[in-house]
Amino acid sequence: MTVAPAPRHAAGHREEHHRWALLAYVVLLVGAFVAFGVDSTLGVIAGALNLIFLAYFFRHLAFAISAARWAEDDLAAADVGVESYAPPLAVLVACKNEELVVDGMVSALLGLDYPRDALTLVVVDDASTDGTGARLDAWAASDPRLRVLHRAPDAGGGKSGALNDALAQIEAEIVVVFDADHEPERNVLRRLVRHFRDPEVGAVMGRCVVRNGVESSLASTIFIDYLSGYLVNEYGRQALFELPAYGGANCAVRTDVLRALAGWNPHTVTEDTDLTLRVLLGGKRVRYDPAAVDFEEAVLSSSRFWRQRYRWARGHQKCLRDYWRTALRSPHLGFAEKVETMMFLWVYHIPVLCGIGLVLTALRGFGIGGEAAVGLLPLSTLLFAGPFAELAVGLLLGRVERRAAWLLVGFIPAFGLAILTATAAYLDGMWGRRYSWAKTARSGATSVRPAAPAPVAAASVSFARRALPAGVSEGESR
Amino acid sequence: MTASPITPNPAAISVSELLRQALRRNRYRSSGAALRRRTVLWEIAGATAWCLAGFAVFINAARHVEVWLSAGALGLLGETKISGALGDSFLIFGPGDRPLVAELTASCSALTSLLALSALAVFVLRRRPHALGGFLVAAVWIVLANQLRLILSLLAGVHLDVSALVLFHDWVGALLNFAYTLVGLLIMIALTMHSPERAEQDRSGRHTAGRPDAWARPGLGYRVESVGRPARTPRIRIASFVHRRLLPSSVSRKLAARRERGRIDYRLGHLDPAERAAAVRELAGRGLGVHTATLVAVATHETAHLVLDALADAVAARQWEPVSDRQITALRLWSRAWIMRAEANPSTSEKTPAAPAVTPGVAPARPAAARRGRLVAVTGAGGPAGVAVIRALRAAGHRVLALDADPDAVGLRLGDTAAVLPRADADGYGEALLGIVTEHRPAALICTVAEEYAALGAVTARLTALGCRTWLPDTTAVRTCLNKAMFAAALHARGVPHPATATTREGAGALPGPWIVKPAGGRGSRDVHAVDTAAELDRAFATVAVPIAQTRLTGREFTADVLVARDGTMLTCVPRWRDETRAGISVRGSTFDSAAVTRVVGDTLRAVGLTGPANVQGFVADPAPLADDPDAEVAVSVVEVNPRFSGGLPLTLAAGADVVGSYLTGILEPGAPLPRLSFQPGVRMARHFAEVYYAADGTAVADPLIPA
Repeated sequence: MTVAPAPRHAAGHREEHHRWALLAYVVLLVGAFVAFGVDSTLGVIAGALNLIFLAYFFRHLAFAISAARWAEDDLAAADVGVESYAPPLAVLVACKNEELVVDGMVSALLGLDYPRDALTLVVVDDASTDGTGARLDAWAASDPRLRVLHRAPDAGGGKSGALNDALAQIEAEIVVVFDADHEPERNVLRRLVRHFRDPEVGAVMGRCVVRNGVESSLASTIFIDYLSGYLVNEYGRQALFELPAYGGANCAVRTDVLRALAGWNPHTVTEDTDLTLRVLLGGKRVRYDPAAVDFEEAVLSSSRFWRQRYRWARGHQKCLRDYWRTALRSPHLGFAEKVETMMFLWVYHIPVLCGIGLVLTALRGFGIGGEAAVGLLPLSTLLFAGPFAELAVGLLLGRVERRAAWLLVGFIPAFGLAILTATAAYLDGMWGRRYSWAKTARSGATSVRPAAPAPVAAASVSFARRALPAGVSEGESR
Repeated sequence: MTASPITPNPAAISVSELLRQALRRNRYRSSGAALRRRTVLWEIAGATAWCLAGFAVFINAARHVEVWLSAGALGLLGETKISGALGDSFLIFGPGDRPLVAELTASCSALTSLLALSALAVFVLRRRPHALGGFLVAAVWIVLANQLRLILSLLAGVHLDVSALVLFHDWVGALLNFAYTLVGLLIMIALTMHSPERAEQDRSGRHTAGRPDAWARPGLGYRVESVGRPARTPRIRIASFVHRRLLPSSVSRKLAARRERGRIDYRLGHLDPAERAAAVRELAGRGLGVHTATLVAVATHETAHLVLDALADAVAARQWEPVSDRQITALRLWSRAWIMRAEANPSTSEKTPAAPAVTPGVAPARPAAARRGRLVAVTGAGGPAGVAVIRALRAAGHRVLALDADPDAVGLRLGDTAAVLPRADADGYGEALLGIVTEHRPAALICTVAEEYAALGAVTARLTALGCRTWLPDTTAVRTCLNKAMFAAALHARGVPHPATATTREGAGALPGPWIVKPAGGRGSRDVHAVDTAAELDRAFATVAVPIAQTRLTGREFTADVLVARDGTMLTCVPRWRDETRAGISVRGSTFDSAAVTRVVGDTLRAVGLTGPANVQGFVADPAPLADDPDAEVAVSVVEVNPRFSGGLPLTLAAGADVVGSYLTGILEPGAPLPRLSFQPGVRMARHFAEVYYAADGTAVADPLIPA
């Protein structure tokens, strides 16, 4: 394979900035005001925004249609040969102050279905200051399959640094990454790994499902967001462009590809999108398996939600700045794929444009700004309609009960929040404000697995299949 | 390889030229993604065309209708200053009775929203017929809400000012338009979504359908065992009322059957493999075209070979059936591949070596499945446990190499092949066994005689080297079980209820009577004496070799068949009453459920440290409360543990706990997690004799009692 270009900032320790570009935009705007007048300039801008919104509306609609057409059957389709292909595999998890969730994660890892001799489990304790390290050591003592690496407090590099340290210590063909709050389903490794039969495949993404929707209405909103994000958006990207994104957790990478790319990029806060781009530009493919499921926690408070989405926006926007030129020149992407890659890279800039659209609409209300080629308001509505179409299909595919439809109302303020986070991230990123990895805080309330290593006392259980009312599950552990 | 000309043209193009042409054509052939993109683009084009054409065709009519509706509504409200007489405009008399014409423009009409929603219903909410009802309700809502918006802006024009009308309609109204369209969309989505009964997860992502893992679509709902879902019973059950009171019962039955077909995989998934296989055979027997969806679901999700074999056989048997559904073609393709795969498996296509000429007394029920199974050696084929294991293995499609020390042991006639072994305590047992295994190469060996474990333990490594796996319990645990004195000590040490035991005559005298005296190393009910007086006690101690005495227990006698995983986890405990026994073998019994018995049995097995199959015998002092409450705290005492399958094993298998199949899996795949096995309480067994006949040279003699 050809090695993808390293990110342009790799060597620099100073925070990169684009203040000159910001200044250039302002100068251009003022120049246009002077040359063509405020009204016609704003009119042209509104017209351009309309076209962008329309393009994204059709993109959302296309994903919704493709998922509505094919995803249901896809989820029910039979697995082929999952038992017969099991290359050496290492599971890596980076933990920093995760004592609330680490037990559930480790017990889920130990329960994974994969041949013992082909599986290595490595959990990195990234200089935790709570009981994470001790808990991990207790688990490692009770089960020799688990290896625990403790990192020094000044090791640096955030999640990428921790994963790179672990990567240096393993000999495996495939690396699978989870986050500390994740509890993968038993069969997830086999389902992820099956795609590596194709030598073109460099990485495989599984599906993440929110497990703590019950904890708050924000969490249940995020649960629905994930349903549409994975069952519709990610599915559609794979179905229509074969360009799903590697998502940072519940995903597998070929070790030699990863090593050729010099591991995860420690200079970004979204190492997942960064790696997606580098795998694609290196000529390999990313695949998505909606049947490889793991359960994770959603954030519970709006301030944590803000911090998490800010990080995503900041990292994703940086990926656009890092890779758009290379992507456009890449010999590995066709025309349609380049268009989709650019639209994907632009995703976290669209809320910024929505904000501008709102400002232009408000100015029109006060009589400032020319008539746009197409009305701004109806098209902004279309911009809402696209995500709502995706959300609706996600709910249907997830077979969620009817009452959940009303939770969609919660997406209106969420869109508003997205405009604010993306705009703040954009301005900070362009200005070059210093930013490093922000860890997401966990709740651990739905981490229901054993809280201590290997329970010894066997509970008294009845094995009888007692008479149950018709239609009620027996809940036996078959 | 030879290439024959494709066209009759004598100036045939060369093969390489044909290939080149094919490749050239292929260059213009689209990739899968491009084809899918094209499909979706056509749909988007269709949706756009539907919206544009609908707008062009209906907008004037829609404007007229909406003006007429608003004017009518205002007329009903008694508003006389607004008239809809102009068709698509209102005539308004504003403040000071200044006349004004307010045109209902295209953007004021609800048509745009309706067209957009209808396109979404058709192209996005497809497949769910509920989308139609959802759209209709949403459409009514949107039309009414738009009427309200029109009426409010008209009233603003009448009572305030013309500019108030414009401001209200263009700005406030636009926001209202956005809000009610959104609500309309939500109504449509909500009505299209699954009702709570048919949904698989609730609004916070908890799994609610109770589907077993293997059958559920992946990732639909987080399974929280501790969170119970309160059953909500609606006050008015419309569906129930319609079915009971309105519909003719024949129609209602048909609808119920149709509904059931849609959900039958929920029910099938809960059954045990044997029951699932039977259900699949029954469903397929009614016609592949009847339960096609369920059968395809079985082929898709099922993992038990037993069930898949049953499905493949059933499909293979119904090849006459017209392919009325494309899914039937899929089923036939699948079955073909499944059967070909099984036949191609080298481990099953091996030829059975020339075995001692023993014809099975029982004809194989399903020869196709039998051909696919593994060869399993079973020792102790003459005992009731051995016979039960042989029959269970053969029923599961395996072939059996029956082994026993007695050349006339009945089990030797029930296996597929057989061989005679020396007794386990005789010299040459190990070598003889290795010779037989070398000849027949069974994949596994199941021992049903506890006394053989020690001799087997000595040759385990050599058996494994021959490809014959075993799973023997810990030798200390076996010794503890076989020696009743050691067993009593182990149970007393761990506080497990066990009758007071003495090994000397003096000790026995100190125990409260009446007593049971039996040999410390005895097996079954051999040499067991019920003793009531001191004189009888003397006699018993004089006749029994190495005797032990125990206080005779009262109550109801039970045996629990148990399977313990290698890590000590009890995988199942099936207690059954020993209502009648002959020579120590239960001939009449019934399974029951008791938390107390299960707990004591578990404690017993932990006390002796046993793994693999076992049967635990004991007494329940007062069994009456168990009839009503399986959780009743009854007094349970354990008398003995046999580290092997029991003679009453068929009842346990009939109750649904496939201990033999699980044990075999545990032997063949030592690392595989074994399932916990549940069983049906209240299954009764009445045993009878069965015969096999054979001539002096071992050939079978026909059974005169089998119907011709």
